[in-house]
Amino acid sequence: MSREHLETNIIRILRILGIIFFIIIVAFPFYWMIVSSFKSLEELLMRPANLWLDIRKINFNAYYEVLFEHGFSRYIANSTYVSIITVALSVTLATVGGYAVTRLRFRGQAFMSYSILIIYMFPAIVLVIPLYVVFSHMGLRDSIHVLILVYLAQTLPVALYMLRSYFQTLPVEIEYAGLIDGCSRMGVIWRIIIPLSAPALASVALYTFMIAWNEFLFAFMFLDTPEKFTLSRGVVQLAGSVHLSKQLVMAASVMVTVPILVLFLFFERYLVRGLTSGAMKG
Amino acid sequence: MALSRVDIKVKDGEFCVLLGPSGCGKSTLLNIIAGLIPQDQGTVLLDGQSVDSLAPRDRDIAMVFQSYALYPHMSVSQNLSFGLRMRGTPKPTIRESVQWVARLLGIEDLLDRKPRELSGGQRQRVAMGRALVRRPKLFLLDEPLSNLDARLRANVRLELKQMHHQIQGTMIYVTHDQVEAMTLGDKVVVMRDGKVHQIGPPEAIYSYPSNTFVATFIGSPEINLYRGMLVRKDGLPHFQGAGFSLNLGRLQIDLKEGEVEVGIRPEDIGTGQAESMDLRAKVEMISYVGSEKYIHARLGDEALTFCAPKDTALQPGNVVHVAVDPGRVHIFHKGRRI
Amino acid sequence: MVNRQSLLHQEARLAFWMLAPTFIVVMAFVVFPVIWNLWLSLKPVSLGALRGTSLFEFNLSLVNFHKVFGDPDFVPILLTTLFYTVGGSILSIILGLTAALLVHGEFPGRGLCRGLFIAPYIAPVVAVTFTWSFILDPQLGVLNWLAVNTGLLTQPIPFLSQRWMELDITGMRVRLPLALTSVILFEGWRYFPFAFLFILARLQSIPDELYHAASVDGASPFQRFYNITLPQLATVLSTLFLFRFIWTINKFDDIFLLTRGHAGTKVITIKIYDYAFGEFNIGAGSAVAMVLFAILLLFLFIYFRWIVKEMR
Repeated sequence: MSREHLETNIIRILRILGIIFFIIIVAFPFYWMIVSSFKSLEELLMRPANLWLDIRKINFNAYYEVLFEHGFSRYIANSTYVSIITVALSVTLATVGGYAVTRLRFRGQAFMSYSILIIYMFPAIVLVIPLYVVFSHMGLRDSIHVLILVYLAQTLPVALYMLRSYFQTLPVEIEYAGLIDGCSRMGVIWRIIIPLSAPALASVALYTFMIAWNEFLFAFMFLDTPEKFTLSRGVVQLAGSVHLSKQLVMAASVMVTVPILVLFLFFERYLVRGLTSGAMKG
Repeated sequence: MALSRVDIKVKDGEFCVLLGPSGCGKSTLLNIIAGLIPQDQGTVLLDGQSVDSLAPRDRDIAMVFQSYALYPHMSVSQNLSFGLRMRGTPKPTIRESVQWVARLLGIEDLLDRKPRELSGGQRQRVAMGRALVRRPKLFLLDEPLSNLDARLRANVRLELKQMHHQIQGTMIYVTHDQVEAMTLGDKVVVMRDGKVHQIGPPEAIYSYPSNTFVATFIGSPEINLYRGMLVRKDGLPHFQGAGFSLNLGRLQIDLKEGEVEVGIRPEDIGTGQAESMDLRAKVEMISYVGSEKYIHARLGDEALTFCAPKDTALQPGNVVHVAVDPGRVHIFHKGRRI
Repeated sequence: MVNRQSLLHQEARLAFWMLAPTFIVVMAFVVFPVIWNLWLSLKPVSLGALRGTSLFEFNLSLVNFHKVFGDPDFVPILLTTLFYTVGGSILSIILGLTAALLVHGEFPGRGLCRGLFIAPYIAPVVAVTFTWSFILDPQLGVLNWLAVNTGLLTQPIPFLSQRWMELDITGMRVRLPLALTSVILFEGWRYFPFAFLFILARLQSIPDELYHAASVDGASPFQRFYNITLPQLATVLSTLFLFRFIWTINKFDDIFLLTRGHAGTKVITIKIYDYAFGEFNIGAGSAVAMVLFAILLLFLFIYFRWIVKEMR
């Protein structure tokens, strides 16, 4: 075998092994999470090394308990509410803000477009302390709506940046045509920019949802009464109160994770399709 | 791109062409008139009223863009009716106007298609239609033909001229193509580097260019331009070029002797010996363009191009006598004078 | 003169309204807290006395910084943070690079793999940390049980709760920081998809012709990788390192949920939490936050210096 031939074959084998390796390390924790959530406590304690799930022994108790005895039905509602509102506000504000930074002329335009990302250099824990102090002073701590505002502050800079990058690729002349035809700037945004930005808007919405839904630290620090807990807060609460019943924690984890995974799986196909077929000319 | 000291008046119903090389500021000027870019100094007056504080949509103008800028997510009829819809025009009127414009431009059967399904020529018509449908006071056209291929361009040019007669609208048209400018314009504004070099009807621009830039920019093949000295011999003005001398005879020239530039258009040069002139040119190359031939020759140390009928017997290497009518010679001394 | 400007003014006014909400929210919830942090670090404030103390009293002092620098924990925490940050960043990039190289190119199931590989990154932090805690648990975790059952280990390893582990590598006794290593491995697992996506995108934009030319010139696959692929990836890799470093050094959630900072995994962010909400010493917590800042700025300074040098 020539050197090239030999190396190519080695590579092929290594590649297959490598992919298998990655598949295992990525999928296994999720697999384990799901499988454990369907086992009973005795099962977990007695056969902790059992990798498989007996279909006949599937146990929905964990889910039942978590949802109805540990308040997770409430937490799901809270998380959904918080995430959806955050996404709606984020996308709206980032769209108009991104448009302003891209197309409108004003003093400080250059500054706004670049400085917006410096925000991400600050660690969340550094923001938490002063906010905790201020909120405590003002009695604002245990509020879902304040939490939404905090989340907005986290997501807006990136959302604005992403949309700005996208808007820059849209030909200005289409907007000019709209302005001449009789639209105001807001009209141009609503009738022209938004329809043409569907893939970018979807990405921003997805990304914002992910941040709001997954967020832990601020929910942990700022929410005190269980009725107001988001899912992340709730899972930590649960884990702290039950030490052995891991199946409950796993069930709770599945509930937090599944919506995000499903969203991403579904939208990834949609996004790809949208991006490839949206070839505009003229 | 900066503009400086631009002062242009366009009459009602006139077809005014802004002509100039790329980057000369003509598109910028158009955008300022449209209200898309604010100007640093000066005013835009429409019908005698200043429109500086008016948004583009309030200026009663329409614009056709070089890239057509059709709304990609809307059908052709939606593209055409967009402006009317924005102004709250009643639906029957909209339908009527769209039909009228579609018939005028021959795009009736394209009304339900999306821009990406159309050819370049079709898109161009839709872009024109979108401007026409609102019947505005002023049409602004930014190189609308430059993305079309050559043959289509000539046809559409003709149609544009006819349409202008039909609609009697006021049009300001931007191009870098001097053929378009000459054939379409009632008035041509020649620009370069943000400055206006000359304004006038095509004939004036062509026959009386006010400076060397205008002279060389207009006219194909390009004017023959020579640097040299104006001297007086026996009381008569002579142009001393590099290796040849031109007797300017009867011309009244105010300039005393000095450096000048002299321009002669290829079609103003004839073969044959003229009295008072003894110019010999050596033919170097011949370009055959079908309807005639362009002879590239050497006059003294300079290059000379002139036109000859297509069945001329001239060959490279021949030496011919050429003659110039002094009345057709353009003399420039940093400006123009004759 | 007024008329001439009013279109521009209109535009500027519109821009103001369009950006105002974003600006206000970001100012209020990001910028002011940071400035406030600086303020708090210079005031002797404790959580208990929060209601009582006047927040605006101008009694600045460096007592917080004294406490912070004087804490015997200080240097170990710095080292731990450094180790964690650099280790986690590099690991996630190496894994991401490997994954990207594996997935690059045509093969059946490629789209599926790409979708699957991002899961660790997008899943909620609480879910993955508790799942991994469970898997690695010495009493109940599947990893330890399997290892012991199959004879790989003689006794379970408390991956997340033991500080040191003695290893015998080819005769040398090595003391491995166990919990810290586990946390770094978790970090690599969780964030490799980020590197993966960016590197993959960059890989796919390398023109095939470069590889063809190299093949014709006689380069083998490994040589092609070393001489073409790697140089093309240089910018992405260094940018990735920049971002991962910043984000890892700022990370709190992961370590907090895995170990609460015990067993030698106490990094700066955890220390901040401990001061502020463990000892109720807000001032000290803010002071440490300022130290973190300083380290970040130092890193950025060094990084951009190095970049500029590389550019030449």
